[in-house]
Amino acid sequence: MTFQLLFAATAGKLYIGNEIWYLICFAILLIVVKRYAWGPVSEMLAKRQQRIVEDLDTAAENRKKAETLANEREAALKRSRQEAMKVLSDANATAQRMSETIVSEANNQASTIRQQAKADATQAKVDALSSARDEVADISVAIAEKVIAKNLSADDQKALVDQFIKGLSD
Amino acid sequence: MEKPIVFKLFGLPFDLVGILGSTLIALAVFLLCKWLAAKVELRPNKRQNVIEYLLEFTDNIVNTNVADKDARKHLSLYAFVLFLFILFMNQLGLFLELKVGDNMLLKSPTADPVTTMTFAMMTLLLSFTFGVQKFGTRGYLQNYARPVALLLPINLIEELTNFLTLSLRLYGNIFAGEVLLTLIGNRLAPSLGIPTLIIAAPLAIVWQGFSVFIGSIQAYVFVTLSMVYIGKKVAKE
Repeated sequence: MTFQLLFAATAGKLYIGNEIWYLICFAILLIVVKRYAWGPVSEMLAKRQQRIVEDLDTAAENRKKAETLANEREAALKRSRQEAMKVLSDANATAQRMSETIVSEANNQASTIRQQAKADATQAKVDALSSARDEVADISVAIAEKVIAKNLSADDQKALVDQFIKGLSD
Repeated sequence: MEKPIVFKLFGLPFDLVGILGSTLIALAVFLLCKWLAAKVELRPNKRQNVIEYLLEFTDNIVNTNVADKDARKHLSLYAFVLFLFILFMNQLGLFLELKVGDNMLLKSPTADPVTTMTFAMMTLLLSFTFGVQKFGTRGYLQNYARPVALLLPINLIEELTNFLTLSLRLYGNIFAGEVLLTLIGNRLAPSLGIPTLIIAAPLAIVWQGFSVFIGSIQAYVFVTLSMVYIGKKVAKE
């Protein structure tokens, strides 16, 4: 009853042949569309999707790489700056030390020279004094010999002169 | 109404309207697809964009209704071809109705319940196949008694109603559209001479436009419901 109603439009006739024909048609259509359109297109879609994913991945990787590179460069820069600073300060310290040693050496040398000079001068003074004493003694002896004639011995004369010179140097 | 041309081959009755229409449309769909996908490149050209849009459209229908990943790949092709086939069959009768004498030669094959039932039956059988493939025959049959055994008769009846609603919805819409178009063209237009002819022309245009819309919507609905039914069969409840 219901089915009669359903097929009223086809006047109660069920075209079995049509159904089979539709199915065959559809099956053939499925096959050729898969072969010529759906297959290549969906394959290309998948390929493109994969390509995009890969591109995104490589982009992220590259960015990360660039970031690490930049960080490294910055660190290297900082390190080299520090090194330069250290070298500079080392050089400063060395120069300071060097100048100090030079100055102290010069001081030492100067003081030794001064001491030497002082010693030399003292020696010269002593020498001069002793030679002068001898000469004065001799001269005075000669004078005394001439003045006082032959009363006084040379030794007495010398003692006299010594006394005289001691009084001078005091 | 028009008399269909029925002939017999191998003892089976054939209706020429359906045969001609479906063959023509199958050819058209194939040529269109082949033309659109003539040059497939990684950087899509204009034609490729069109077919990719179509494919994405039907894929979208599949993906929103079928959760099973394995079934999706096969259903993508099925939905794509089914959508185009039904869409073009729906539109055929709107611009082309060939009549020789009293005999109808060409109109929408989907304005015939036999056609729509064929496709609905195909979807039904496909859903059985996917269900059996996924759960095994035993598991598939047990699914009818889920979530509770009480629902067994309802689930069984549902198969029949799904099939009927799927096919008759499409048939009814397209058939009604063609009937009204024929009425406007054959009955209203010549009824009172020139005045009605003038009135009928824009009316026919409007109704044709609306029928194109309905035909597209019905093709979409048919594919969507097919996917819903198949998706339900491969989903674990």
